[in-house]
Amino acid sequence: MIRLEHVAKRYKMGEVVVTALDDVSLEVDKGEFLVVLGPSGSGKTTLLNIIGALDEPTSGEVHINGGTVSLNSTGDRFRFRRETVSFIFQTFNLFPSLTALENVQFVLDMANTSDSAERARDVLASVGLGERVNHFPHELSGGEQQRVAIARALATGNPILLADEPTGELDFKTGIQILDLLAHQAGDGKTVLVVTHNREISRIADRVVELSSGHIISDGPPRTGKAAIADLQW
Amino acid sequence: MTNMTLWLRWSWRDLRARWLQVVAISIIIALGSAMFAGLGGVEDWRIRANDLNYARLNMYDLRMALSDGSYLDQDELAAALADIPGVARSEARLVTPTLVDASDGGEALVVRGEIVGVDVSDGGPHVSSLYVREGDGRTLVEGDSGQPVAVVEYHFAAYYDLEPGDPIRISGDVALDYVGTGFSPEYFMIIPETGMFFGESSFAVIFVPLETAQQLAGREGLVNDVAFILDEDADSASVQAAIEARMEGAFPSTGYAINAREDTQVYTTLYKDAESDQWMFNALATLFLFGAAMGAFNLAGRMVEAQRREIGIGMALGVPRRWLAFRPLLVGLQIAVLGTALGLLAGLGVGKLFQGMLEDMMPLPYWEFSFQFGGFLRAAVFGILLPVVATLIPVWRAVRVAPVDAITTGYLVAKGGGLARFVQRLPLPGKSFVHMPVKNVLRSPWRSGLTVLAIAIAVLIMTTVVGALDTFLATMQQAEDATLNRAADRFLVNLDFFYAANYSGVTGIESLAGADGEPLFTGFETAMIVGGWLIHGDEKIEIALELHDMDAALWTPTATEGALTADEPGLVISDKAARDLGVGVGDRITLEHPHREGLLSFRLVQTEVPVIGIHDNPLRAYTYMDMNGAALMGLEGQTNYLILNPAPGVEPDEVRLALLTQPGVTSSQAVTEFSDAVDELLEMMTEILAVAQGMVVVMAFLIAFNTTSISVDERVREIATMFAFGLRIRTVMRMQMLENLVIGTLGTIVGVALGWIVLNDLFVTVGENEIPDIGFAVTISAETVLLAALLGVVVVALTPLLSVRRMRNMDIPSTLRVME
Repeated sequence: MIRLEHVAKRYKMGEVVVTALDDVSLEVDKGEFLVVLGPSGSGKTTLLNIIGALDEPTSGEVHINGGTVSLNSTGDRFRFRRETVSFIFQTFNLFPSLTALENVQFVLDMANTSDSAERARDVLASVGLGERVNHFPHELSGGEQQRVAIARALATGNPILLADEPTGELDFKTGIQILDLLAHQAGDGKTVLVVTHNREISRIADRVVELSSGHIISDGPPRTGKAAIADLQW
Repeated sequence: MTNMTLWLRWSWRDLRARWLQVVAISIIIALGSAMFAGLGGVEDWRIRANDLNYARLNMYDLRMALSDGSYLDQDELAAALADIPGVARSEARLVTPTLVDASDGGEALVVRGEIVGVDVSDGGPHVSSLYVREGDGRTLVEGDSGQPVAVVEYHFAAYYDLEPGDPIRISGDVALDYVGTGFSPEYFMIIPETGMFFGESSFAVIFVPLETAQQLAGREGLVNDVAFILDEDADSASVQAAIEARMEGAFPSTGYAINAREDTQVYTTLYKDAESDQWMFNALATLFLFGAAMGAFNLAGRMVEAQRREIGIGMALGVPRRWLAFRPLLVGLQIAVLGTALGLLAGLGVGKLFQGMLEDMMPLPYWEFSFQFGGFLRAAVFGILLPVVATLIPVWRAVRVAPVDAITTGYLVAKGGGLARFVQRLPLPGKSFVHMPVKNVLRSPWRSGLTVLAIAIAVLIMTTVVGALDTFLATMQQAEDATLNRAADRFLVNLDFFYAANYSGVTGIESLAGADGEPLFTGFETAMIVGGWLIHGDEKIEIALELHDMDAALWTPTATEGALTADEPGLVISDKAARDLGVGVGDRITLEHPHREGLLSFRLVQTEVPVIGIHDNPLRAYTYMDMNGAALMGLEGQTNYLILNPAPGVEPDEVRLALLTQPGVTSSQAVTEFSDAVDELLEMMTEILAVAQGMVVVMAFLIAFNTTSISVDERVREIATMFAFGLRIRTVMRMQMLENLVIGTLGTIVGVALGWIVLNDLFVTVGENEIPDIGFAVTISAETVLLAALLGVVVVALTPLLSVRRMRNMDIPSTLRVME
């Protein structure tokens, strides 16, 4: 479903060229739950952004669902993001002036979905926020805000979920709940890519891709074997 | 402060990071301070010029004008008024109404006017002197006495581009030798009796030697006006009492009115005008600076929010709060200094420009323009202080945040929804794209409120400026409607004296025929017009009293209350007069009017009369009475005022030229001239308006740009999030525009409402004091509201389009990564 061929990304910072990704090739199947692991500066967020068409590779190709994500025009990239991928951010990035329900409804309206309010309510109920739909983000806990963000991503119906450090702002217990939610999405047929620097989190993935200085240094099941969410510790 | 250079450098980087907003706010500050600096000295310049010109041209201190139709022998009068203690000099004059024909082959130019016969002996006139500029011909000299030589008053001549040597004729078809164009202090401004403007377009003053004036009027040896200059230490009231005593002794049956120069309309208008203009300029400049302050407030608010974590880090490092506040304050100060410096420079140019405009608009013999240090100082102080004070508020709020909150990431991400909750139950139409902008407005009510206020200020300025014109024009329209509602082609003809209505000279006018031998007029009415006063309690107002035969009049006023009938003796007065006097229909008031004592002498007497009606003309002076009221004046069967209805197809110029040759006719005026004057006024006002509108558009645009720009800054992560979800730029743009539309609509509503309040205050307080002869109907026209909406709503709503490029080039990943 996702195929990266010799993807590289280089930035120029003054006179210095910084390589964020170097010759990265990767394939991710439909319904897979993949964790991209690496320390800060390893290139994992860049990888996520390139897959999500927020950023363009300096070289190499990205194929999604068999098609090339060359995305020459801004319009193509916007359409791709609208129809193919959905983001979940570390800091949630909810719209502060909209309630939980409206935040989810927003993306449904974007897709011209009929009865958007009803569907938003259903999605929020599916992430356990059926009772909090009319609350504004500032009235919700961090975990609840991230659930709203996940609901918003799910509501798009897009087949790929891209989560950048989704537990970074959360406590352990809440982080576990969020990961559980994401893992369930993979079970439901969505491809889920989670970027994290937390090795413990990677234990619940089907597959862990480890990055260091822009290179893939390992790709396979978690080193210590797949763990149940209940067994995680950090 | 440890290292001032570091703070300066740091704040300079903040400035550069938001240079567009900085420039926008600086320009608004510059506009305000340029107005303060450049126009701060207008009152001073004008008052100095007034003082200088009145002093150099020897404006009278007291003037005695005999009642209409009264004349006295000049030698007898001089003897009676000789050696009055406190009088340094006096000069008798003969002032008579006339028609002035300045036609030069082409279109006819015939206007009402007056001949002022002045004493030219020994280099005179020495009281209310004549001043002829170099290149404008010559003044009158002693040798001109008895000769048909004239100096034409500057305003009329300038209005029609007349020059010495051009043909000038007066009533009776007498040609005068036009030798110079001159100023006289009594005519520094031409204000017709009705309080209308552009008096110079329809009123000409012709100065001739006294002896010449007497010959032209057929009043040899007679005068009807005396001007006095008093000793410096003389008590004006005592001198006036002495004059009255002398007049009572020598001419007990002759009426007269004595006015001090401070009581004359031209004099007071020139001074009050200077004061009120200055007030208006200062008010506009202050509003501009307030607009700038709002912009500075918004920008400072945004900057301190952006610096919140840095402030938090500073707090964690133990940096005192005042130092933390210093950086954003320094930015505010630098914007203020930059804007004010630009404004002061521009102020020099504005001042120069306005000096030229003043010389054109207020033609006076002498102008002296000095550098107005006070105005520049005030501009500098206000220009710097207001934005800095506005910056203080958000800075103060920012440094009061607890360090732990300031340093937390996500603090602002989930920050409150403000008043957004209150619209939860509102059934807003459309999708969430429509709801979000509305809620964004309510999310930061304080900031939104200030933005609304800033736009409201721009709209307020425009509404006030244009609304003042609307009010003026609506009032003039009301006057025009009242005058032209019937017999709209009629001519009003003044005679030089009272004649028996059946006198052949009068009836001869009725039977005047045109070149084709056909009668010129189909309607003819003999009426009367006299000057007088209405008195009630302490209030006394000057009026022009018209007497018509109400059963047979060609035109009668429309009464909004009561009625003007021949059956009931009484007055129909204007609503403004009724309000000023505090009377209504049925009340009795005192009418001071002339009463004939002899053939050429009239005395002012007071008669109690009832108010029987209120008419619809906003001009206060117009007062009406049935012709049977002539008995009060000892003028039964007399006329000095004719109403003529021209026959179909007869052109106004044909009427004017025919009347010019009629003895006794001193003025003829088509009532339609009123609307011509209004049209002319509109034309001039439109130019002024265009300048005001231009300034307001700039200000509204800058405020809107600033607001949008700050809004984009503030919402940059939200916008990036939308883009991350694939929302199109045009949809985001529409949301921004909708948000601005809400803000702009609110600002426009508030601005128009404030404009209405200011206009009312302006016309009720300033207008009624300075232009008491007109009852203004405060009006904001639909066009003005539309214009306000165009500025406040459309311009503001479209401003986000300027952010398209910025949005298109947004680095979404970086923006999403940024911690507020």
